[in-house]
Amino acid sequence: MLRNYLLTAWKVFMRRKLFTAINLVCIVLTLVVLMVVTSLLETAFRPSGVEGRSERFLQIVMMRMDSHDGNSVSTTPLGYKLIEKFLKPMPGVERVAAATLPSGAAVYQGERVSEMQMRRVDADYWKILDFTLLAGRLPNAADDAAGRMIAVLNATTAQRLFPGQPAAAVGQHIDVGGQNFEVVGVVEDAMHVNAFADIWAPISTFASSDYRNELTGMFVALILAERSADLPRIQRQVEQIAKGVVQADPKKWKTTRFWADSKLDLFARMTVGGNEKLDSGAGLLLALIAAAMLLFMLLPALNLVNLNTGRIMERRVEIGVRKAFGATSSQLALQLVVENVLLCLAGGLIALAATAGLLAWLEHIQLINYMRYDLSLAVFGWGMLIATVFGLLSGVLPAWKMSRLDPVHALKGAA
Amino acid sequence: MFRHLLKLTWKRKSRNLMLSLEILLAFAIVFGVAAFAARYAQLYRMPLGFDSNDVWSVTIQAGDNGKTRFDAGVYDSLRRGLAELPEVSGIAFASFEPYAFSTYASDMRRDAKAPQVHTEMIEADDALAGVLGLNLVEGRWFSALDNGSAARPVVINRRMAEAMFPGVRAVGQQFIDGEGGKTTVAYRVVGVVDEFRAKGEFEAPVNFAFQRFEAGRHDGDIRTIVLKVKPGTARDFERRLNARLKLIRNDWAYQITPLSTGRKAMLHTRAMPLVLISVIAAFMLVMVAFGLFGALWQNTTARIPEIGLRRAIGASAAGIYRQIVLEQFMLSSIAIALGLALLVQLPLTGVFGESLNWAVFAAAAGLSMAVIYLLSLVCALYPGWRASRLSPTEALHYE
Repeated sequence: MLRNYLLTAWKVFMRRKLFTAINLVCIVLTLVVLMVVTSLLETAFRPSGVEGRSERFLQIVMMRMDSHDGNSVSTTPLGYKLIEKFLKPMPGVERVAAATLPSGAAVYQGERVSEMQMRRVDADYWKILDFTLLAGRLPNAADDAAGRMIAVLNATTAQRLFPGQPAAAVGQHIDVGGQNFEVVGVVEDAMHVNAFADIWAPISTFASSDYRNELTGMFVALILAERSADLPRIQRQVEQIAKGVVQADPKKWKTTRFWADSKLDLFARMTVGGNEKLDSGAGLLLALIAAAMLLFMLLPALNLVNLNTGRIMERRVEIGVRKAFGATSSQLALQLVVENVLLCLAGGLIALAATAGLLAWLEHIQLINYMRYDLSLAVFGWGMLIATVFGLLSGVLPAWKMSRLDPVHALKGAA
Repeated sequence: MFRHLLKLTWKRKSRNLMLSLEILLAFAIVFGVAAFAARYAQLYRMPLGFDSNDVWSVTIQAGDNGKTRFDAGVYDSLRRGLAELPEVSGIAFASFEPYAFSTYASDMRRDAKAPQVHTEMIEADDALAGVLGLNLVEGRWFSALDNGSAARPVVINRRMAEAMFPGVRAVGQQFIDGEGGKTTVAYRVVGVVDEFRAKGEFEAPVNFAFQRFEAGRHDGDIRTIVLKVKPGTARDFERRLNARLKLIRNDWAYQITPLSTGRKAMLHTRAMPLVLISVIAAFMLVMVAFGLFGALWQNTTARIPEIGLRRAIGASAAGIYRQIVLEQFMLSSIAIALGLALLVQLPLTGVFGESLNWAVFAAAAGLSMAVIYLLSLVCALYPGWRASRLSPTEALHYE
C-alpha cells in the first residue's frame, strides 16, 4: 500500500516538474532557516569540543543581594574570596575553578595596538575545559602559587601577534595593558560560554592582590561533578551555601542568592527566568523557542497549502475515480498527507545539504568569532522532525478539502 | 469592470481567502521589518548632542570593586599627569563614557506628589561639557560656583526639562529622587543642553541628567577619564598614554578606547538584529513569491475554459491579461487593507510608544505596500501573459 502511495506520489511529482520544483524550493528555504537555528542551538547547548564535559559541570555567574527592606537589589559576579572560601571546599565534587569574565585588554607591540579579550583563570579551569593544546603547555597550580607572569593565546591571536607556526609564539613576551607576560602555550580557537577569550593568564597576575579579600567581584565559578547524576544535588548544595554567606556589609545586604546553572539554565535565567529562584525557566524558554519556530512555519505552510490546493484541482479526475471505486475519504486524505510529508522530507535532505554549505560559509566569514558549527546526527534528526511537522502542518488542510470532493462532480470535472 | 472583478473573486472565495491570508501575513512581516528600518533611519538623523571625534576614554580598573574612595588628590594627580602629554587637549571625568553599554537610570519627581519622570544619568565633573562639545541652550555647565551647594547641581537635556517642568524655565528649579520614602536627594538645575543620547545614533531620545561630581562628597567615585586629543592622534598614542597612567598609579589597570571604536561596536550591536530579521524576511519573501507564482499559474490553468469562452465571445488578449493582473491586484489590495486596519491599532493604542510614531508608521506602510504590490504584480505577469496567449479554440477544447 505504501509502495503504491510512493509510486503515485512519484508519478504526480514528475508530471508537473515546475510545480514540484517550486514546492521544493519553498520547503527548502523554510527548512534551511529552521535548521540553521537548530544547529546554532545545538552548538550552544550540546556538550561538544572544548566544553565536552558540560553535561557534568555547572557554572555560577551572578550573585544577587537583597537589602533588608527589599528595595535595593545588587547583582554582580562573584568575588574570589567567595569561591575560595565557600565553593572550593565543597564536598562531593571533582573540582571547582574560578575565572573572570572576558574583558577588553590592549596588547602593545612596538607601535602596534591590538584589542583582545582576556580572561584570568586558575589552574583548575584548564582541567575542567578540554582545550586542544597546539604548542607549549598550560598553566598549572605551581604557576598560580608562584604568581608567574605567563599567558596562553588562542591560535588566531598567536597568528595575529606572531605570524607563523603556533610554536613560534611560545616563549615570546607580550605587553598587555602595561604588564609583561611570557607566552607559554597556544590553544585552538574555541567559542563557548566559558571558553571564549583571546588571551588567558593566571588570576595571580593581577597587579594588586586585593581581589583575594572580596566577596563580590568579577569572577565566575565552574563546578565539575563526578557524575552528571550529581548535578541536582550540587545545585541544592550551592543554594544552601549561598544562604550561609554573610556579606562584608551585613547591615545593608540581608540575603545572598546564587545558583549553579547548566548552560541551558544559564541562558534561560538571563532571558526569561530571573535570578530569584532555583528554577531557571529553562522549560519556558524551550516552549517559547518551539512556539516561535511553529509561528515562523505559518507563512510557508500557508504558501504550501495554496500550492497543494491547486494541485488537487488538477488531480480531481484521479480522485473521482478512486472514490467511485470505493476509497474512503480518510484513505485519500492519508495518501495526500503522506505525499506531502514525503516531499517535505526530500526537501529536508536538500535543506540539510544547503545548511551545511551555509554554516561553512558563516564559519568562513566569522560572523561570530571562533564559532565552529558542526552538523551532528542530532541536527539531522531535528531537521527531519521539523520537516515532518511542516509537512503535516501544510498537508492536512488540502487533504481535508480533497477528501470532501463529491465523486460525481470530480469525475465530470466541475469542482 | 470593478464589480465584475469583485464577483469573480467572490465566486472563488475559499481559494482566494487562503491567498489573501498569505499576502496578509507577508505584508505584516514586511511591515515589521520596514518599521524597524524606518525608525532606525529616523533616529540616525536626529541630533546626538555631543561630538565623539578625537575623544578617548580610559576606564580605571582599580581592582577594589569600587569599595575604596578616591580623594580629590587622586583626581588632581591624574589631571596634572595627563595634561603634560602633548596630544591631550582636554581632560574630564565621568561615571562612564558615551557609547558605553552601561546605563544608570532613576525615577525623579518635582515634589513628593508629582508624577515620576524616568531619567538616565551620569555623574560628570566640571570639564565634561568642553571635552564632549555639549551644546548648552540655557543656563551654564558646572563650575567652582557650585562648590558646597546643598542641592546637587544637575544639567538636564531639553526633553527632560519639558517632561519635568512643562511651561516653566527649568534653570534654577529643583527636583528630587523619587525612589524610596526616606532619604531623598535634592537636585538643582543649573543648565539645559539641547540633546544628549549617550548610546549613540540608534538610541531613542531619553530624559537625561548630568549630576555634578565633587570628590569625596558622594557614595561612589567616577572612574572613567574622557580625553579630548589633538586631531590626527594615531592609535599608537594608547601605548604612551598607558605608560603615563602607569607612572601615576602602577597598581591599577586601564582600559583605553577611542570613542570611535566604542561607536562602531555600539552601532554594530544595535544594527545586528535588523540585519538578521531582514535576511530572514528576504528568505520568506522569495518563498512567498514562488508560492504566489505557482498558485496563480495553477489558477489560470484551472480557468482555461472560462478564458476560452471570454476569448470566443470577443475579449481581446490584452483584456484577459488585464483581468488576471487586476484580479491579483485586487486580492493584494484587500489583504493590505485588512492588514493596515489591524496594524493601525499599534500606533493608535501606543503599545510601542514613541518607537512607532506616525511618521514611522506611514513610511513603513508605504514601503511595505510598494513591496507587496510589486511582488504580486511580478508574480501575475507571466501567468497572465500565458493565459492571454491561449487561442480560443484550444482553450475551449481543453481537457
